[in-house]
Amino acid sequence: MTTISAPPPGSTDRTSEPAPSAGRSRRGARVPARRRGDVGFVLACLLPALVLFAVFMVVPTVNVFRMSLYTWSGFSPDLRFVGLDNFTRLFDDEQFVRAFQNTVALLVVVTVVTMGMGLFLAAIMTRQRLRGRNLYRFVLYIPNVLSVVVIAAIFSAVFDQENGLLNGVLRLLSLDGLQQVWLGDQKLVLWSVAIAMVWQSLGYYMVLYMSSMASIPEELYEASALDGASAGRQFFTITLPLIWQNLRTTLTFFVMSAVNLSFVLVRAMTGGGPDGSSEVLLSYLYKQAYTNSSYGYGMAIGVVIFAFSFLVSLLVSRATRREPVQF
Amino acid sequence: MRRSLVLAGAAVTVLGLLAGCSAGGDGSNSGKTTLRVAALEGGYGRDMYAQVIQAYEASRPDVDVQLQISKSIEDEITPNMKAGRYPDVVVLGQGRKAALTETLIKDKALEDLTPVLKAKVPGEDKTVGDKLIEGIVGNLNTNPYRTDQTYLMPMYYAPTGLFYNKGLFAQKGWQTPTTWDEMFALGDTAKAQGISLFTYPTAGYLDSFFFALLADVGGEQFYTDVMTYKQGVWQTPQARQVLDITTRLLRYAAPTTVGYANEQDFTKNQQSILDNKALFMPNGTWIVGEMANAPRANGFQWGLTPLPAVTAGGKRYITTSVESVWIPTAAKHKDAAKDFIAYLYSDEAAKIFAKSNAIQPLKGIASGLSGENAEFYKVYEDPSVAALVGGFASTAPVEGVDIKATLFDTANSIISGDKTEDQWQAALNDASEKLRQAGD
Repeated sequence: MTTISAPPPGSTDRTSEPAPSAGRSRRGARVPARRRGDVGFVLACLLPALVLFAVFMVVPTVNVFRMSLYTWSGFSPDLRFVGLDNFTRLFDDEQFVRAFQNTVALLVVVTVVTMGMGLFLAAIMTRQRLRGRNLYRFVLYIPNVLSVVVIAAIFSAVFDQENGLLNGVLRLLSLDGLQQVWLGDQKLVLWSVAIAMVWQSLGYYMVLYMSSMASIPEELYEASALDGASAGRQFFTITLPLIWQNLRTTLTFFVMSAVNLSFVLVRAMTGGGPDGSSEVLLSYLYKQAYTNSSYGYGMAIGVVIFAFSFLVSLLVSRATRREPVQF
Repeated sequence: MRRSLVLAGAAVTVLGLLAGCSAGGDGSNSGKTTLRVAALEGGYGRDMYAQVIQAYEASRPDVDVQLQISKSIEDEITPNMKAGRYPDVVVLGQGRKAALTETLIKDKALEDLTPVLKAKVPGEDKTVGDKLIEGIVGNLNTNPYRTDQTYLMPMYYAPTGLFYNKGLFAQKGWQTPTTWDEMFALGDTAKAQGISLFTYPTAGYLDSFFFALLADVGGEQFYTDVMTYKQGVWQTPQARQVLDITTRLLRYAAPTTVGYANEQDFTKNQQSILDNKALFMPNGTWIVGEMANAPRANGFQWGLTPLPAVTAGGKRYITTSVESVWIPTAAKHKDAAKDFIAYLYSDEAAKIFAKSNAIQPLKGIASGLSGENAEFYKVYEDPSVAALVGGFASTAPVEGVDIKATLFDTANSIISGDKTEDQWQAALNDASEKLRQAGD
């Protein structure tokens, strides 16, 4: 019988080497001088990266927060401080509320579907020795290397209401009644964007999970098979707990990247339309800041996105916290 | 020694990176004025600018004109403008997605060009104002603050209206409708033959449609009232009539319209005119070049007609799209820039522009046109048709309010049934009121 137990605290990394205490004592008194040199060298190497980080990450982020308190068109020299007015206005703005709802809906649905399908496909590809699985992996991964504009063009062909792949297949199956105007129906357009998002990111996460699943020792599965565990049971009691840490990390990354991906796809595919029904937070920010000359208002939306992404990542991190399981 | 080398190396790298970010100084050369001209590369191409600049430089040896031209010129000049490096002359109209011109208008960051109107065209006896056609300046498009000062000079003008297939009309024996009743009757006839009466590429193309319809229904004063957000203007019977006519027309829209009315697919809506699946769409003269390589029905020929009149024999307006040229107040060489703009209206320059189909609003220029262009500009010859220039007046920015989106994009929701005409009217009234308060 194989048991999986939590490792003793403090030894989470089994690959870490023992401290080279013997080597250090042999060098004796030379160590402090050498260390000072090392620190200088390390600092010098870090300096360019730190300067770039400060100039391109820290300063703009601080600026977003600062500008959200002003009314500014984007060019004029006169900035007007308005305090939290931009934020109070947000709550009366129906378009903003709709964009927020759309963003949350996309985040929830796309995350659940992508992660779920990614795990499922990865489990099948690693555990069931499928013939041609390398080909499947390749095919599923391809969308990830395509540019978003290409993806938008592909889905424009898939969703085309007249000659599109989707409606074409439905016609072929004599399911004409199910044909839809995928990008023109205000109730469907968001889900059409969601399908494109899942298609784009599924392969990437599948490959990530496959690599962590591949490192799980085969003995665990053999032993559980001898105990009569089914494939499903194996997945939930062996695979999932052992890749949990990986799953947590990818989940946080995905939530953040989905906010960005939804923006570029919406911009390229629907422009937020029809009549604002597929608007997401970032596309609304862009419209306000750059085409409605309301830069400060746009930055207030930016602050909301920042806070929202931060909060969601925190919640996800808290909700998925488990005692790490090792093999 | 090695350590200091490393530190020096790191410092050089950092400085290099920072210097790289701020590169692009002012390349002033000996004694010459360097005039920076930024232009949008529209359907007319870029060669004409190069030729005009060459001709200008030949007459002004002390000026060096540097041209920056791009299909997304806003994206290229905006970062420099934010850093304080402004071009001297910008050829870019309103109504673009990036709304750079509108933003600078709202900021009052444009140079007053009224003196250019009074200036003599270089090398000629006439002033610029004398050469321009009637009514092309003095409207909201050129004088955005409703004053006598002109801030945007009209560069090229083109009629926009309903485009259709002349060949199909000849083949079926149909006449272009002159009243809305005739229009809807034609809609029923066409529907019986499986052809839709109307479509639009994206809802944004309805601008030319609405502006003309507002003036057709309520006259020029009513149009100006709407454009300047007069209190309660969207609750008037005229405004309701405009929405009534539009709502009725949208019932005749091609079923594919909304699904294709996005950045990716709008040409498919344009294609439906070429395929005889729809009769009319609002568009501009650039459509000919834009769809030049698209397949089309036999005997296809582009035609342009103004909107039908509200009452038989009533006045019909044709929205005229005008590209603008302007000088940012922050420009370095304003006098040289004004001289250059005056030169753009010279016979010499006009000839070069016209060769690329860029038609300037100069007296007598339309008579020398040929081909489809001659056909399009003929709409102005009809005595019952008047040109309409302008657009919504500029106000201080109002957060979250975009009246153009409310007026045009709602058409998508009207077709799909997601909004009612009453909701449309209420939203317009609300947006107009907020903008009026910002303008006061």
